[in-house]
Amino acid sequence: MKVKEKIPTFWIAPFLTKKWVQSPNWFWAFAVCSALCILTYLLNLIVSEVQPYNTWGLVYGTLATGLVICVALYGVRRRIIKFTKKYRAGRSRTWVQFHVYAGTLFLLLVCMHSGFRVPTGALTWWLWFLSLWVTLSGFLGVILQKWIPKILTSGLSIEVHYDRIPDLIHEIKERAEKLIKTCDDPIRDFYRKNLAVFLAGPQARLIYYIDITGGIQSQTKKFNYINRFLPAEEKEKLHELELMYKTKLEIDAHYTLQKALRWWLYLHLPISIAVFVLVGLHLFTVLYY
Amino acid sequence: MRKKGTFSHLKLSVAKDYLIPFSRRRMVYLGGIAALVFLTYALLNVFLQRSSFISNGPLSSNHANFESDCSACHTKFSSVTNEKCSVCHEKYGDKLGVYTFAAHYVYRSDDFRRLVPSENENSCFSCHQEHLGRDVAITNVPDSRCLVCHKFGSFEDKHPQFEFAHRQIPDNANLKFPHIHHVREVQKRENLLDIEKTCLYCHNPDADGKNFQPISFERHCDACHLTTSTATPWLKIKASQNSKPPGVETLQSMRQQQRPGLRWAFYTHVNEFNQRGDRIRKSPIYHKDPWILENLNSLRRQLYPNSGLVELLRSSVDVPAQDVRQLYLEAIQTLKEYADGLRARPESVVQNELAQINRFLQVAEKQLRDPYTPLDDTKFLLSTLEENPKFTKVQIKDFNEFINKLTEPCQKCHIVSNGTILRVQTDQRVFHRAEFNHRVHILQRRCLDCHTQIPILENIANSANIDHAIDNAAIQNIPIIETCKDCHQTKVTSNRCNTCHYFHPNKSQRSNLLLYLD
Repeated sequence: MKVKEKIPTFWIAPFLTKKWVQSPNWFWAFAVCSALCILTYLLNLIVSEVQPYNTWGLVYGTLATGLVICVALYGVRRRIIKFTKKYRAGRSRTWVQFHVYAGTLFLLLVCMHSGFRVPTGALTWWLWFLSLWVTLSGFLGVILQKWIPKILTSGLSIEVHYDRIPDLIHEIKERAEKLIKTCDDPIRDFYRKNLAVFLAGPQARLIYYIDITGGIQSQTKKFNYINRFLPAEEKEKLHELELMYKTKLEIDAHYTLQKALRWWLYLHLPISIAVFVLVGLHLFTVLYY
Repeated sequence: MRKKGTFSHLKLSVAKDYLIPFSRRRMVYLGGIAALVFLTYALLNVFLQRSSFISNGPLSSNHANFESDCSACHTKFSSVTNEKCSVCHEKYGDKLGVYTFAAHYVYRSDDFRRLVPSENENSCFSCHQEHLGRDVAITNVPDSRCLVCHKFGSFEDKHPQFEFAHRQIPDNANLKFPHIHHVREVQKRENLLDIEKTCLYCHNPDADGKNFQPISFERHCDACHLTTSTATPWLKIKASQNSKPPGVETLQSMRQQQRPGLRWAFYTHVNEFNQRGDRIRKSPIYHKDPWILENLNSLRRQLYPNSGLVELLRSSVDVPAQDVRQLYLEAIQTLKEYADGLRARPESVVQNELAQINRFLQVAEKQLRDPYTPLDDTKFLLSTLEENPKFTKVQIKDFNEFINKLTEPCQKCHIVSNGTILRVQTDQRVFHRAEFNHRVHILQRRCLDCHTQIPILENIANSANIDHAIDNAAIQNIPIIETCKDCHQTKVTSNRCNTCHYFHPNKSQRSNLLLYLD
């Protein structure tokens, strides 16, 4: 049996687990490129000065520009899917890996280009700051993409698609109300006071980032309390209602965490476009002036 | 078992329709708007003549007035050209190109043959980086710029030893001067307890305290030297104008001859001379005594008949290459004195000659005023060492002995060679390619902490005669580079190249404001 992507087990091993590094080949390629960049920079420090406009600095800048263009291609990949399939331009996963590692290398080259100093000009400052922002928001995305699916699958019993959440909650609510019509007053009152608002729509709660169950034990205590005073057949209906409540809690957990998965992109994509334009403006000013 | 089309314990229904993937169009629009904001702001900024957005940072204070006008320095698609810098910085049409690489080369090498356009010409901006902030001095050039050519590494590491120490060049003061003896005498005479104050008695700082004023006989030596009792030895009076046995001319004889340049003879009192038979002596003697110098000139003229323009100088021609102008000024001054002396002569031949001399002087002075006229010191370096072929060796020896006798009072301090008093080098600066600021150093170090080559402190209390080998004017009483390295170390005191060195040559000519006017 072919052992795929064997993970090294020396000093970096604790970090280099499958949990964090999906593709060690990409990681090592990135590590080698970064080491080369740093060695080049050290050589630069020894033999010449670090300036964005000398040959060394221009090489860093040009490489960074080239990388940012390649990295941005990932964003348009979906638009040119036919082209990528036709020319076998790699699997989606390959593109993601390249996007992540090349994006990080881009920031390193930007820092080398600026000599690890904060630029003094307004345009260059914005370019530097937004590059940092885009890369850090990218890191945030990587962390979220790795962490959220794991906790969603490990701690919850259902999986739902983000876009289906309102429909599913509506369905639960309809079922609950249908059930309530067959129940006695205590359950009706209980539903009206405690569950009606809760089932009205999806609710994002920060608690899910800490406890994926949303504190389910404490939340369902109220069902135990009323359960003691109900006759046997009403108890069954309350149990069904509790099941709906728990499902709604899990759907809310999905809603909260999947929302973060979608919304982090607002931190990344629009700024990336701005960076791209600022890179163009920077190139123009450098060539023109 | 879960039915098809449902999921979870609640048997929730699966999606009936295909779910359209999450659209990112809104994010793209947002990004587009952000980019548009930046572009619009940049364009407005440029068209409103501010250009602060696309600028790489604020200009230095010196150039701040050009901040809203990029084209003052930048040329489209050509970056910053030297020509743009020259608009202000070489307005006067700098012939030598003070800012050029060639001038830098000459400055370092003193070799004027290298004053040609160089293929290594640097652009101004390669060293003088702008847009680094209002308070940043663009003259603060990083060492790495210098190290491109000067492969010295750091100052602590491989900076070469000072040239005078490395090549063991003696001090060319051309004086006989024992330091310790003088320090002792001045200390005694002025009642100075602090030995460093004794140093400053003669080494008087400039107004800025950076360097010292030239030593002057009148200020520093006159109090003790050439007092009224000083006299020449008894000297034989010359029999005729070109008599082979050497001799001196008397004052009367000089007055009678009315040669140019002898006007002083009419203002000199005859009582200063004492004559016994065919011998004469003069007392008192003055510094640069005209009678002695005139007789010395006359003797030299006989001994070295081809001495050329040296005739017009009071002392020898040995000046540093950059000070040749000084020789010309001195020669012109002598010529002017000659002309003044001839003015009272009514003969038409003399007056015609005088008119010619005046015309020549006008041309020469005009040329000298132009700082960029190349001057040739070889005109002063004629074959002065070529002795008169008509003289026998015995006669030459007689002349030299007589010259030594005539200049005996002078030779207490001066050196006479080939019938000429050697020019005293009054400029005490030893570094030609570096600057040293005494003021900033005296705050932390005393004079004798660094100037230890002559052991003044060790011998000041010693009343015995000091060995000439350890105390003479040829000893460079200047610290070697290791002394500087005691303090100038990385992370201690600045050891950057431009702490001591300039790239551009001496800036003295740039102080002439007239040169900057159109």
